[in-house]
Amino acid sequence: MTTTVHEHLHAGPEAPPPRRRRLRRFTAPGWFRVLWTVPLSFLLATGLVAGARAAFGYEPLLLQAVWLTVLMVVVPLGFLIGIGGFDYWARYVSGRPTLPEDHSGHGAYSWKDYFRVNTDHKVIGIQYVVTTVVFFIAGGLLAMFMRAELAQPGMQYVNPQAYNGLFSVHASLMIFLFIIPAFAGLGNYVIPLMIGAPDMAFPRLNALSFWLLPIAGLMMLSSYFVGAFAAGWTNYVPLAVQQPDGNLMFQMGVQWAGASSIMTALNFLVTIITMRAPGMTFWRMPLLVWANFATSTLVVLATPFIAGSQFFILFDRVLHTNFFDPAGGGYPIAYQHIFWFYSHPAVYIMMLPGFGIVSEVISVFARKPIFGYRLMALSLMAILILGFSVWAHHMFVSGMAPWLRIPMMVTTMVIAVPTGIKVFSWLATLWEGRIHFRTPMLFALGFVTMFVIGGLSGVYLGSVPIDIHVSDTYFIVAHIHYVLFGGSLFTIYAGFYYWFPKMTGRMYNERLGKIHFWLTFVGFNATFFPMHWIGTRGMPRRVADYDPMFGNWNLVISIASFFLGISTLVFLYNMVVSWRSGEPAPSNPWRALTLEWQVSSPPPVFNFDEIPQVVGSPYEYGVPGARHAILSGNGHRTAEGREAAPMEETVP
Amino acid sequence: MRRRAIIQMIVIGVLAGIVTGGVAYFVPWLPDAASVQAGLIDEVYWFVAIVCVVIFALVAGVALYAGWKFRVADDDMDDGSPIHGHTGLEIWWTAIPTALVVAMAVFSGINLSRAEALPSDARVVEVTAQQFAWSFQYPGVEKTSGDLVLEVDVPVKIVLHANDVIHSFWVPEFRMKQDAVPGIETTTAITPTKVGEYDVICTELCGLGHSVMRAKAIVLSSEDYAAWEKEAGGGGGQAGGTGTGGEADGKAVFDSAGCGGCHTLSAAGSTAEVGPDLDTVLAGADEPFVRESIIDPNAEIAEGYQPNVMPGDYEERLTDEDLDALVQFLLDSTGSS
Repeated sequence: MTTTVHEHLHAGPEAPPPRRRRLRRFTAPGWFRVLWTVPLSFLLATGLVAGARAAFGYEPLLLQAVWLTVLMVVVPLGFLIGIGGFDYWARYVSGRPTLPEDHSGHGAYSWKDYFRVNTDHKVIGIQYVVTTVVFFIAGGLLAMFMRAELAQPGMQYVNPQAYNGLFSVHASLMIFLFIIPAFAGLGNYVIPLMIGAPDMAFPRLNALSFWLLPIAGLMMLSSYFVGAFAAGWTNYVPLAVQQPDGNLMFQMGVQWAGASSIMTALNFLVTIITMRAPGMTFWRMPLLVWANFATSTLVVLATPFIAGSQFFILFDRVLHTNFFDPAGGGYPIAYQHIFWFYSHPAVYIMMLPGFGIVSEVISVFARKPIFGYRLMALSLMAILILGFSVWAHHMFVSGMAPWLRIPMMVTTMVIAVPTGIKVFSWLATLWEGRIHFRTPMLFALGFVTMFVIGGLSGVYLGSVPIDIHVSDTYFIVAHIHYVLFGGSLFTIYAGFYYWFPKMTGRMYNERLGKIHFWLTFVGFNATFFPMHWIGTRGMPRRVADYDPMFGNWNLVISIASFFLGISTLVFLYNMVVSWRSGEPAPSNPWRALTLEWQVSSPPPVFNFDEIPQVVGSPYEYGVPGARHAILSGNGHRTAEGREAAPMEETVP
Repeated sequence: MRRRAIIQMIVIGVLAGIVTGGVAYFVPWLPDAASVQAGLIDEVYWFVAIVCVVIFALVAGVALYAGWKFRVADDDMDDGSPIHGHTGLEIWWTAIPTALVVAMAVFSGINLSRAEALPSDARVVEVTAQQFAWSFQYPGVEKTSGDLVLEVDVPVKIVLHANDVIHSFWVPEFRMKQDAVPGIETTTAITPTKVGEYDVICTELCGLGHSVMRAKAIVLSSEDYAAWEKEAGGGGGQAGGTGTGGEADGKAVFDSAGCGGCHTLSAAGSTAEVGPDLDTVLAGADEPFVRESIIDPNAEIAEGYQPNVMPGDYEERLTDEDLDALVQFLLDSTGSS
């Protein structure tokens, strides 16, 4: 089957294109059609605004705030129509015959296929991962500018407004365009394989949710043209309303990224619930699948709240409503409640998939069953539920109802318990294992230790009296980076290295991987650990300038952060060079039991030539005769230690 | 065998915890404590710190030891022991952390209510935050001060107001922090215990001048405070609002309206760089220009600066006399007329 599709696709580009076909490029989905749909939608939006305002006699005709808002709705739609995000549905709705599903949207045969609307979850997974890495680099560069400015007291390179823009855009890119979608990308690639499914439940929706992402990212970055949003990623009102129009681009960027997130999460949920292979009960699912199940539930329930909060600000700015303006009867703290009702669960959206990745990696490289599998899965669900009951711990000094602080403190502290269960279970998984320190394992163990620091500083912050002192100081900056860098990013790195052979069909360079880990680990701690100290000593966060008494520490932090930035180059070099010319990867280089490793690297277009039959737990390392799944042919293996030789490359 | 493994694991962790906890204890994590509240918060801080540092060391110790002890060569093909779990252990590591977090929460709750308890007749200081300056108003004192003046050992209820966006009031040595929110009144409690001068720091991002939005918190002995109160309440000296112009009044308005938070003006000793340098941009300016620049800052924007940054409501905030005095002071001090 694979071969047929392969030949079928190659027939197209190789035949000499007749003249008429060249013109048809402009009507077929793709970048040629984008060339005219985007300008057309731009003109349409502009005409709409100018026409409507002229009809009512408003001056000026193109008021920037209104114009920008309409552009940010219409032009992305124009782009999506051009690239082909809606073609199938448009045919269906308009009553034209839909294109027969010949799976020509599956598989990628040249780099160009990654720039098309492709419905293959493996292609979409890679599109996601590469796109998010691009935004990760952009966000990282912004951080480097910030640290350059902060290296010495006083203002050197940027003015204070520009500085505020740097950290606001940095945080927004890292959160909305890197961590959340990077996990969505890895999940996209791995989850259907792990549960024995041929693809995601809604492949076209999957493609569409990817293409929303670059739109959101470019929107946030291009806010620099009209004055970058500079009220922080938290975008508190009334400051957000007072900011230049770049703030609108944050509000709309969040909508597009949020829509992408919700659509992917729905897709994950339906896929996980309905498309598991025979025998793959919930209690036989790998923990990564459990983690994405919990995460997707969080995304679906919580993301509408941030969408709402940003729409309210947009309305206050553009439509002159008064949701948050006290002068018009609004209530600024209401914004914070709505915002954090999403943004605290968002921390778990950025954490739980990492927990899943680390569970896979530790079990495989310690050659042991994951310790306490059921409690590991249940603690994910406990975090999911408790995660909705702690949001106001971000607001202990905000002026909200004082009584609310005590229950929120209690729930915040209690959520440390399921998290602790996970950490202790990972440690117990290591014990009496046979540990292989491959790069993914190093990052997983780096994660366990660093995330514990972030989690424990979270306990400090959960305690109201301590929080009153350290809230909005560098202690918070240290905490969030121990959670999102030491936590999320380390697990993303672990995931990138772990599945790199599966995704690319090539091995990464192990030596460079290890160098990358150690540089990152040292650079990370040297950068962020001192921030705890300068924070408790009295340095507030989000300041372009600071008390000269913190000058030496800030210089140390800046130097460490440049070191950390440079370490990323090792990662990028390794990924690019290994992808082009690494050693071909066997189907199962890690001798793992989960299903994605039982097919070739990269997997066939439809993942499994035969539906696997799942018969046991995915983590039965060291259990004689135990099996996770039965696949005929070359795909199957047992879990017995000595028989578990590395698989040879599956012949396509 | 398995029991031995568990005991080993626990012993290693506890040892690492004690050593690391000991080291952490000698790091001066917190600034000087200069209020009753600081003492109470520090007690909680140290309790939580010791618990957390010990737990961290336990985890890191076990991870490192496991990595050292159970490491195998790359070509090792064996699997580890097929241990799937241990219900007893799982109950313990659910129960002990639960007990610890409950203890931390209870201790935090008790000290929080002690820190915020104020006698009903506590002195009230009204604090107004605006971009990017603080002003402080005392009971029975006419003068609005640009600095917070407190009497040692006297509990004070701080009542916060914000004129434009959210700000946050923080004095690290007092530990207490509270946002000032437009449209509502928020409060916090401070009982200073040490005579001295501390920084009042804005900790909620409030715009481009956020990092320079600072004032002084001055804690005076009872005698000094009485003297200060008398001087300030007498209406003479530096007090603004009743004068008829002249340098002393204009400078007081300049200070209390927070101009120095953003602008450099050598005559007022301010060196901030958020807004234009007044020594330069007002040199040779005439009276209408100076007045317009205060009440309608967007009318003419100095080169290299953005509109809508300076608050546009000084006409309402300042009395006519204060505005006149401020304009006169600016003209005098920049050599214009």
